[in-house]
Amino acid sequence: MIVVELRKMFRRPRTWATIAVLNALPLLVAVLLLLTDLAPRAGQGPPFLSAVLRNGALYPLAALAIVLPLFLPIAVAVVAGDSIAGEAQAGTLRYLLARPVGRTRLLVAKLVAVLAFVLVTVVVVAGVGYVIGSTLFDAQPIGGTSVSGTPLTSADLSGRTLLAIGYVAVSMLGVAAFALLFSTLTDSPLGATMGALAVLVASSLLFTLDAASPIAPYLPTRYWLAFVDLFRDPIQWRDITRGLALQGLYVGVLLAAAWANFTTKDITS
Amino acid sequence: MSAVITTSGLVKQYGRLRAVDGIDLDVQAGDVYGFLGANGSGKTTTVRMLLGLVLPTSGEIELLGERMPRAGRRVLPRVGALIEGPAHYGHLSGRENLSLLDAAGRGGSWRTRRRRVDHALDQVGLGGIGRRPVKAYSLGMQQRLGLAGALLRRPELLVLDEPTNGLDPQGISEVRELLLELHRGGTTVFLSSHLLAEVEQLCSRVVVLDRGRLVLQEELATLTAPTGCTVVHTPTPERVRGTLDGRVTSVDGERVIVRGSDPAEVNALLVGAGIPVSGLALERPTLEEVVLAAAGTSPDRVEARP
Amino acid sequence: MRARGHGAARRRVTVGALIAALLALPAVIGALPASDAAVPAAELRSRALATDSLGFSGYAVSAGSLALPVTDQLSSVADLFSNRTSMRVWWRGPADNRVDVVTPAGETGTHRGPGATWTWEYETATATRAAANPLELPAPPDLLPSSLGHRLLSEAVDSELSRIGARRVAGRDTLGLRLTPAAAAASVSRVDVWIDAGTGLPLQVEVVEKGARRPAMDTRFLDLDLAVPAPETTAFTPPPGASVREGREAEVVLEAGRRVRPVELPAELAGLPRRRLDGVPPGIGLYGSGVTLLAVAPVPHDLADGLRNALSASPDAVVDELGTRVAAGPVALMIVQPPGRGPYVLTGTVTLDALASAAGRLPDLVNTP
Repeated sequence: MIVVELRKMFRRPRTWATIAVLNALPLLVAVLLLLTDLAPRAGQGPPFLSAVLRNGALYPLAALAIVLPLFLPIAVAVVAGDSIAGEAQAGTLRYLLARPVGRTRLLVAKLVAVLAFVLVTVVVVAGVGYVIGSTLFDAQPIGGTSVSGTPLTSADLSGRTLLAIGYVAVSMLGVAAFALLFSTLTDSPLGATMGALAVLVASSLLFTLDAASPIAPYLPTRYWLAFVDLFRDPIQWRDITRGLALQGLYVGVLLAAAWANFTTKDITS
Repeated sequence: MSAVITTSGLVKQYGRLRAVDGIDLDVQAGDVYGFLGANGSGKTTTVRMLLGLVLPTSGEIELLGERMPRAGRRVLPRVGALIEGPAHYGHLSGRENLSLLDAAGRGGSWRTRRRRVDHALDQVGLGGIGRRPVKAYSLGMQQRLGLAGALLRRPELLVLDEPTNGLDPQGISEVRELLLELHRGGTTVFLSSHLLAEVEQLCSRVVVLDRGRLVLQEELATLTAPTGCTVVHTPTPERVRGTLDGRVTSVDGERVIVRGSDPAEVNALLVGAGIPVSGLALERPTLEEVVLAAAGTSPDRVEARP
Repeated sequence: MRARGHGAARRRVTVGALIAALLALPAVIGALPASDAAVPAAELRSRALATDSLGFSGYAVSAGSLALPVTDQLSSVADLFSNRTSMRVWWRGPADNRVDVVTPAGETGTHRGPGATWTWEYETATATRAAANPLELPAPPDLLPSSLGHRLLSEAVDSELSRIGARRVAGRDTLGLRLTPAAAAASVSRVDVWIDAGTGLPLQVEVVEKGARRPAMDTRFLDLDLAVPAPETTAFTPPPGASVREGREAEVVLEAGRRVRPVELPAELAGLPRRRLDGVPPGIGLYGSGVTLLAVAPVPHDLADGLRNALSASPDAVVDELGTRVAAGPVALMIVQPPGRGPYVLTGTVTLDALASAAGRLPDLVNTP
């Protein structure tokens, strides 16, 4: 079933169009940066973008940081929101369930397919970022500088970049779980996607609000930027472990809710 | 003969509406079963409950001898279904669609998948279909592909909802032939439709639903059995009444109903009296008349309350 | 027939209960009581002051709500008091430590070593070296609960101290020590210092101003590791490609102070006695002690005009014949320029009324440049 879902996902032109669009933004930023040579001021702009002018080897991270706040979660919400509701809207859900495919199995397969999408997307963004960084900017083959101002070897840098790729992928799980839950609640993929995005926007908004600070540690977007902590020296694991635990919690809770809803739901689409 | 579908006291409640209200179905192996009812009479909901898509509020369902929806994993692979029109992934080819559907559930090796898919496509007349995506198919082709999907597993039971929808007259006749052929091969067919002609031509048993209730479940042959009257067509109906006084039950234009189950005897009497007879037949009720008599008005109608 | 509706309801209830249990977990953990110990206030204070050279590392957050109305040259200092600052700290001793102010997209590290302090700013890739100086501008390390606690408690007298129970900070039991300044001029109503029961290290400091219920400054450890960090962690060498410069901010301020012609300041202002500190230019007068401090300095006209404009822009500014004054939380700032006299700047953790009474007693300045 998982193989079937992966085939469906990656044989779909839309999947690749989404990934292509995701890569267009970092490319545009790179070209603009190169033409104007205007680095963002300290404290502004995505992480690592100002450092890219000094070391192109950081561009995969800058590319991730560029797509992380909006583009990547939107893409994930679209794909995950489509997973069940899209089948319902197309009418194929009833044939799948009458085939029969167990509802729990279908839900798990959909989640795995979304995870695969997230991973492929993040890896492609980082890969394209690497190509951009090494062709358009001066890459330092000997390594780079950590955020804390200590030197990093090439091996260090690539190891930590891989960890960052993994962390960003995990960060998207919360959004995916929200979209998947909404996807089981409605027959409209657009509605499910919008629901997940509404959660996302609300979370980003509350995060900036002092009055919401008591709930800030539970916001799904709270620890997204913690991948930067991988490049501090020594690595600051605090937010990373919390981010991983929080995403795990969201996935667990929302998936349980999605499961409880989907397995007892009347399929009338 | 063994029971293929048995339901007892099947109820589905949506809020305050009882979409299905205590239905007892009894479909035997080898039947071509016509499931009739107007729009909104609960047909679709019942079909979905049979397949485990909609969970009943109360009542029991047995499919191929096992309890649904609990035994769905064992039973449903032996059932082919076409539910409310076909649905496919528009960006994939028909062959790819069937292959994905086949791979989605258990049963059947991937080695023989290609053969199964080809065979199903041949059966519905899509054997020569190329790599075109399904979204470029005509309605009739999509309907055929949906049917192929239902036939993919060589099911013992076919549950079909409006299978000839969107087909041209030739297509309808082809599908009818296909179903009859499958039936001869031992497949039980459960045909849900509101096309009475289709049901009349195919089915051996008929069920009629009205507003969630089962109002009729009978052999088609019994329903349309001769009534014991003879229909006489004549340009001079008033002379028939004069000749066969007392036996005429109704006159409608040139159509006269005469008591008596032997048309030859009626004919002899009329011809003997010199009355021209342009047509003569045993009276049989049409399925339409039976259904209308059983079901009353369409639930689509919303009458103004007095 | 299995009762379907019932099964669905049970499934939903189970999942709902699971979610509720998960949501309640943090609240339950937060409500775990801290164990108190009967330690007298004076002893707790001396225990806290004895931890100056204790080695530790951790993660601290300070939240300030002091919007200091200052000019651009000192905006980094102002940010320190008005923002939420996250700090990673490695502490081997007062002269060997490292504090990184962590921002989402970068960090500013302060590495204090023998003789010099390196400041590393990631986003500009700048390493700044500043020689050790007796008078330094407020820097992130000063906001650590340990440093701030030491500083505030060091000059407290026993009569100002009281015990206030216990609480859990950074997962450790702490004992509360409340400092209520005795001076009438004080703008701070109390300082609550939460001191680690095991080691005596201050783990949280809350500064509450008079008339307020919420602290104007709250700094606390979230994580604490009592192992002495490795020397490599606190040391700093500018990485290749970084721009290296010499830091002179403190010197600029001191230089400005030295240019002021010394005037004879009163021995007492607003009820606070004058005090002498090493490195402070004679033109600058420091009064008070502990939590209640007042600084007075005659300033050149142009600097006074700039500051006055900055102060007047604040909606809370009070402008009268004595001068312009404004309070940002417990910190008050005033520009005094009575007609025919040279300008003064007064600032400190005193009330606005205390500032006003001090302003009236300042001597005339002659020949201000």
